[in-house]
Amino acid sequence: MTDNEKKEDPKGTGVFSQIEGLTPVDPAALEDFKRAMTEKVIPEIVKVVEQRRVLAADSRRRHLKY
Amino acid sequence: MYTWLTLNTSADLAQLEGHISGEYDPKGVAERLVDGISDAVKGVLIEENYIDKDYRSTYYNFYAKKGQRYRPDCVRLHFFDQTVSFDAHSLRLSCSDRLADHYYGYIVLRPTGIATIGRSIVSPDVRRGARGYIVSAEHKVHLLGYKLLVEGFPSMDQHNDISVCAHAACWSILRHYSERYSIYREFYTYDITLMAQEFDPGGLVPSKGLQLSHAERVFQEAGAFPVHITRDGPDDASFFRQISAYVESCFPLFAAMYREGHAVAVIGVERHQVAPPASGGVRFAWDMVASLIVVDDNELPYLSIPARSGSSIYSAEDIDAFIVPLPEKIFYPADAVERLAPTMFKLGSLVGLPAENETIIRYFITTGSSLRGFMRERESEYDQKLLETVMLLPFAQFVWVVEFATEAQWATGQVAARAVIDATASLREVMPFWLFHSRTHALVFDRQTISLELTAGMRGMKLAGMENTAFTRMEQNLRPIRTK
Repeated sequence: MTDNEKKEDPKGTGVFSQIEGLTPVDPAALEDFKRAMTEKVIPEIVKVVEQRRVLAADSRRRHLKY
Repeated sequence: MYTWLTLNTSADLAQLEGHISGEYDPKGVAERLVDGISDAVKGVLIEENYIDKDYRSTYYNFYAKKGQRYRPDCVRLHFFDQTVSFDAHSLRLSCSDRLADHYYGYIVLRPTGIATIGRSIVSPDVRRGARGYIVSAEHKVHLLGYKLLVEGFPSMDQHNDISVCAHAACWSILRHYSERYSIYREFYTYDITLMAQEFDPGGLVPSKGLQLSHAERVFQEAGAFPVHITRDGPDDASFFRQISAYVESCFPLFAAMYREGHAVAVIGVERHQVAPPASGGVRFAWDMVASLIVVDDNELPYLSIPARSGSSIYSAEDIDAFIVPLPEKIFYPADAVERLAPTMFKLGSLVGLPAENETIIRYFITTGSSLRGFMRERESEYDQKLLETVMLLPFAQFVWVVEFATEAQWATGQVAARAVIDATASLREVMPFWLFHSRTHALVFDRQTISLELTAGMRGMKLAGMENTAFTRMEQNLRPIRTK
């Protein structure tokens, strides 16, 4: 366990302590993904979910008969 | 009273007219069956005086109140293959082995003169033209003391007066739910008409149709959590990808077509045998879909409609909105998975993914226990460490699974990588994952602690021995149609 892990899970009861062969992940390898998520993908998700809500409000009035 | 008809081909179903009273419209029914049922059906048992719970619900609350006198009972047609015979004296069905394996389901006929096909569960294997994979459940059938089973999806014609297409689509979906999942109770036809409204609208009001909001209300009243997705213009590819994602997740969809004023239940997909040519960039499972399989109350069940406009009466492109009745704990929407999945190529250096423009992405919902069961059945395909990891991760009940496959892998039912996303994740989470792995590497996520430092909640794992294993696509949600 690293010092950080000991701080987070001093008794070693977390899921990582039960799985063998795990290694820390280089933070630099996540940068691209993190940037894309925070700057583009999450704002897009929030926007599209709101758009769907507005479209559904209109759709609810549509009549189905045949 | 029971009557057995032996068929050489489905054209012999025209004999029905000579055995069934006119109020059940045997001529019209026979014409539809001749066109729609395959020649694998070699015997039909006509069961008269059948008490059908769905028809009775409308009889007690509607037909019995009318000046025109209607019968309270129905006729049921049972379909069998060539190995089954019937002895009219002993009322015994004979078969060389297990009778249930030679049964293709039933159709109830209502004594209403028009739109007489009532509650029906027919095997998709004997529906002419049906191909692909469908959402289905096993339905128990009691006949002459025999307990039979048929796997299929419920369907019925709309009554025209007491119910319209939207009621029929809601009924089909909810009857499927009550058979497949024990948490949902059974709702009869008349229940559906009442559930759609805040108050009893009286007999003929349902015939004026339903609004989509009413259908949403029916599913909500039934205990489901309906998600309503409306198409955002003609170029909304995400809308169609979500249709295939939810169907592949085994959730039937209530689909609305504004121009036609029509509603159907979308219950299956048929994929292209050969992947259509790539037009650049990542492709999705929807791009591999040739047609959707729908239950349309104007047709026999399992109608195949093309994914793109064609010669059919309508196509998937005519669908403007759908409602998917989900269980409660699916908070992370398909719209989010849709946008997250292509972004995962930015983790490619840690996991190892095929080139983006060679990849087909498929995403769907399943339960953590189904995923564990699927992997346990295929232990030899996985590094033991990965298998143990999946058994130990404390998944919430539902997960989104995203599979990445090259075209060659797609053709053989294999994948290159699989991600498991927490279906209870929040929209704004950067790392909503439980697991992301290929044949060589895995990223494992600890979702039991909340940390703003991304690397604190994730670890890498090098995998061994999976380079040449099958690594099978997870298909167990849907039933393949085995045309007979």
